[in-house]
Amino acid sequence: MHIPDGVLPVTVVAAGYAVAVPATWYAIRKINQKENPREGVPRASLLTAAFFVVSWIHIPIPPASVHLVLNGLLGALLGYFAFPAILIGLFFQAVMFQHGGLTTLGVNSVIMGLPALLSYHVFRLRNMLKKDSPVMTGIFGFLAGFTGIGVSVILFVVILITNISTGLDVETERMAIYALALAHLPLAAIEGVFTALITVFLQRVRPRLLDIA
Amino acid sequence: MHVKWRFLIALVSILLMLVVPVTTAYAHGARIEYTVDMAIEIVASYDNGEPMAGAQVVVYAPDNPSSHWLTGVCDDEGRFSFVPDTSIQGTWDVQVRQAGHGDMVHIPIGEGKSPQDGASGNTVLQIVLTSACVIWGFIGTALFFTRRRA
Repeated sequence: MHIPDGVLPVTVVAAGYAVAVPATWYAIRKINQKENPREGVPRASLLTAAFFVVSWIHIPIPPASVHLVLNGLLGALLGYFAFPAILIGLFFQAVMFQHGGLTTLGVNSVIMGLPALLSYHVFRLRNMLKKDSPVMTGIFGFLAGFTGIGVSVILFVVILITNISTGLDVETERMAIYALALAHLPLAAIEGVFTALITVFLQRVRPRLLDIA
Repeated sequence: MHVKWRFLIALVSILLMLVVPVTTAYAHGARIEYTVDMAIEIVASYDNGEPMAGAQVVVYAPDNPSSHWLTGVCDDEGRFSFVPDTSIQGTWDVQVRQAGHGDMVHIPIGEGKSPQDGASGNTVLQIVLTSACVIWGFIGTALFFTRRRA
């Protein structure tokens, strides 16, 4: 899911930053409009640490192996904090162990950050229904988790398919990208279930945590 | 409330610190090792050790780095070898790609230097130490913002 340096042309890399910068500004602006913006920082920090670490936990789904992303969970639990949290997590992943890259930081933050914001809005839909129902929380938690990774995979595939490097056999690379995308479908279900479990658990023990976002 | 927050932070911290050492190199970064003899052999793998079987290889010669000198495909063990043109001295770039993932190594040939083996990427120890530092930074940030105000 992390696109490394050197894969995308300069125009796409620049477009990634052109989207990521205003998205970050918008997210920070929304955070500052909260009554107490500092209140969400500890949770955002811990979930950024979780985001940073989970990319090391891989799940073998033949013929590929995929790693957890948790951007849907971050969206559901952090709201607008999710975008800067993912941006910071991606920065450290790129600098510390070359997952992704600094030139592709903008593109990668768009691929994983924007779907996280979408997941936040999907999860908020439960407020229109029976907000206190664990079943509704579970359903919208699942949808948030599934949406996060699902939309990320779509963005990832579209960006890569339309920008295959010269020198590579286009058909071979295209098939490899499709295979990797298919392998992410079960992962989306896994992240959906995981997000549902976490949100239902939090609703039981500390329901306030689900309302701050 | 603060006590519960601190308990939660401590619990998550312990879990995170436990997770890092036991889950070695599981993600889709890539690592390329190479050996230089009469021919150059590379071994490309994801950073969980899984070989990049079937990954595409593109070799760029030092005299024309903008267009490829050779293309090929890694075998099932992620291996690929080629014999460089020794009359072209300088740094040869070997790029490995598969489904948007991959890496590039820069291999110096000639120019008075003796051929040396090498690799891209980090060692497991480097990854564990840097991860622990970064995680501690996040935990410290969380603790800072949960502190009681005087």
